[in-house]
Amino acid sequence: MAAYFLHLAILAGIYIILTISLNLIIGYAGQVSLGHAAFYGIGAYTSALVSVYWHFPFPLALTAAVLTTAVCGLALGLPTLRLREDYLAIVTLGFGVIVDMVALNLEITGGPDGIVGIPAPIILGLSFRSQPRYLGLVVLCVLSVLGLTYRLVQSYHGRALRAIRDHEVTAQVMGINTPAYKIAVFTLAAALAGLAGVLYAHYISFINPESFGLHTSILALCMVVLGGMGSLAGSIVGALILSVLPELLRRFHAYQDLLYGALLVGLLIWRPEGIMGRGNMSLKFLQKE
Amino acid sequence: MLKLTSVQAGYGRLPVLKGISLHVRQGEVVCLIGGNGAGKTTTLKAIAGLLPIRKGQVEFAGRDLTRLPPEQIVRRGLALVPEGRRVFATLSVTANLELGAFHRQDKKEVRQDLEEMLARFPLLKERAHQPAGTLSGGEQQMLAIARALMARPRLLMLDEPSMGLAPRIVAQVYDILKELQIVGVTLLLIEQNARAALKLADRGYVMETGRIILDGAAADLREDPEVQRAYLGKGYQEVWE
Amino acid sequence: MFLQQLLNGLTTGSAYALIALGYTMIYGILGLINFAQGEIYMCGAFVAVLLLASGQVSFYLAFAAGMAAAALLGLALERIAFRPLRGTHPLVPLISAIGASIFLQSLALLLFGPNDRAFPMQFTFQTISLAGLPVSTLQGAILGAALLFMALLVAFVRYTRYGKAIVACALDRDTARLMGINVDRMVALTFLIGSALSGAAGVMMAIYYNATYPRMGLLPGLKAFSAAILGGVGNIPGAILGGLVLGIAESLGAAYISSGYKDAVAFVILILVLLLRPQGILAGWQRH
Repeated sequence: MAAYFLHLAILAGIYIILTISLNLIIGYAGQVSLGHAAFYGIGAYTSALVSVYWHFPFPLALTAAVLTTAVCGLALGLPTLRLREDYLAIVTLGFGVIVDMVALNLEITGGPDGIVGIPAPIILGLSFRSQPRYLGLVVLCVLSVLGLTYRLVQSYHGRALRAIRDHEVTAQVMGINTPAYKIAVFTLAAALAGLAGVLYAHYISFINPESFGLHTSILALCMVVLGGMGSLAGSIVGALILSVLPELLRRFHAYQDLLYGALLVGLLIWRPEGIMGRGNMSLKFLQKE
Repeated sequence: MLKLTSVQAGYGRLPVLKGISLHVRQGEVVCLIGGNGAGKTTTLKAIAGLLPIRKGQVEFAGRDLTRLPPEQIVRRGLALVPEGRRVFATLSVTANLELGAFHRQDKKEVRQDLEEMLARFPLLKERAHQPAGTLSGGEQQMLAIARALMARPRLLMLDEPSMGLAPRIVAQVYDILKELQIVGVTLLLIEQNARAALKLADRGYVMETGRIILDGAAADLREDPEVQRAYLGKGYQEVWE
Repeated sequence: MFLQQLLNGLTTGSAYALIALGYTMIYGILGLINFAQGEIYMCGAFVAVLLLASGQVSFYLAFAAGMAAAALLGLALERIAFRPLRGTHPLVPLISAIGASIFLQSLALLLFGPNDRAFPMQFTFQTISLAGLPVSTLQGAILGAALLFMALLVAFVRYTRYGKAIVACALDRDTARLMGINVDRMVALTFLIGSALSGAAGVMMAIYYNATYPRMGLLPGLKAFSAAILGGVGNIPGAILGGLVLGIAESLGAAYISSGYKDAVAFVILILVLLLRPQGILAGWQRH
């Protein structure tokens, strides 16, 4: 039983990172990524591949994976983020489909079978094979990510980003390079999603394309909206609820996506600010004119 | 015919109109003059239903219009020629005119009115099949007026019909307004070009920061030293000389 | 071989074009992308297939019913997922539409199961030789029907009172209201028409691929969106051209580059267009 709780706690921690990263894009760039699971998957696959085939030590594999996802984010953000808000959603949706297709078709990724035998992390000779230690690692990562994003929110750059989100044209007139900021945030968010993927791969030790499809992107989106778009605390709450709840309601597994879809529409109509309301990077734009 | 009683309106939380009362009688030409930001456009938008009225009442031909949406108000016979003309740029001149009569059910008479309108505005007839966006500013203003007339309004409101036009074109626009006046169309006109407006109008109101500060016969307003100084540009000459 | 691929591309492209018209019209009038357009397509296909499978109705009736159901679904979506959110940041209705899309997809999965359904066709099609080129009459019929729908739409927008009113709302909402046009009604009408066209595309592709399944709308939706961007969003002839070009590019890409990545072609085109010409291929051309 304790093992099961630890398992849930680890997954919840990973989802918190994924949710925060998506919330950065929504809360700061005012855009939405539907390929977030793809970044998550790219992180997981990269780290798994370099660990299994090239025996990279964990810190190096992690670095490689985070860099790879950051580069993918940059490549995707550059053409898209200069344009309207809805383009990123579609481009990232398409990106998700492509990544899924590539993972299913390539030999090196093992096709639908995926990659097995991903080693548990060893950092400075310390193995994180056991669940309590892995939870410790995840918690450490969550805290670092929270610290980083919190600092970002409070910084000069955070204010610039809020200005962009609330009134892009004004921000531009004030001399803020809005596309550069949006691209930077999107790249950072992609990298963080990659980190979440790395943590997932090395914990489960076995990955296949199923875990990184549209379903997961939508799940992350639900976590953000439920917790509160633009709220860091909301990301934690949303991720905790939606990663634990399905485990408790296993019997209703078939209805999960139906529920998520209805949840998104319903929340936006009746409680667009989510559970935690307007947090530290909260969105003025949720209010109607 | 049209009567506003202490109307308050504004954008978002910002109040612009702080209680406007005015009236327009049948067959009259009334103009509303005032400087930038006095609330003239806001007044017309509030009457036309484009802005919600917070307090006060708008009555037209004995019926309350206060809470009606714009698409209902035009059906009651009140048409607005909006500021900046706002013609539908990619649609043809004819299509613009037809849309002016969108709510009318009398198809045959709409056809006739369309012919009549093209006859009255020969410039538009020449360009009947051109996209409205390719017209010059003056032609677009004519089109905007003709389009509003297609609704067969009992009262026509015009928001700065001379804005951005060359003096020669302004004169043409005012010739048309004069013709409308002669055939008995009721007009409510707002202008920064107070001179032309006061020459045409029977009566006038002067607005400043959301309030009406002066009203009277147009001829009297033209002679009013305050109005002359502030809106007709007279007086400076004497000061300088 | 080349001409054959061209024809295949035109056939699927005509379906993309029909869906793209829905995207483009809704974008034009509301300024937002209806993410659930692919599910509307799926709905049209399912209704036609289920009705035909019941054996009670004729093909044409089933086709019309598929379009009608898609149109009603579009109307319902507008009412539930879009209208209450008007006046908010564009991100909000976008996410709401994503939610609606997921909801409809999983609802179809629960109701009909994940497996493909064959299309209970009442006609047989042959391959005839046209100027030495083998042409399937099915392809000909699909292409012909799609072109007919497009022509009807263009005529509607250009020549009818309501068509012009829709354009007026798209150009300038406030001024359209001053003309006595009820914008809400025009938005609903746009959803109705755009969705009916997507439904028609759904039925046609259900026949063409002989497969109807809950996720069938995902990729065509994505591709049609790319087609709409390619033609310039809000541009009706652009959406038609974009759909056809995309279908052909995809078909040629699959034949001459790699069939495994057929579905990636549209996406690559989308990225290229966004990079090089985000205003679409027809921008600046259409008005003059």
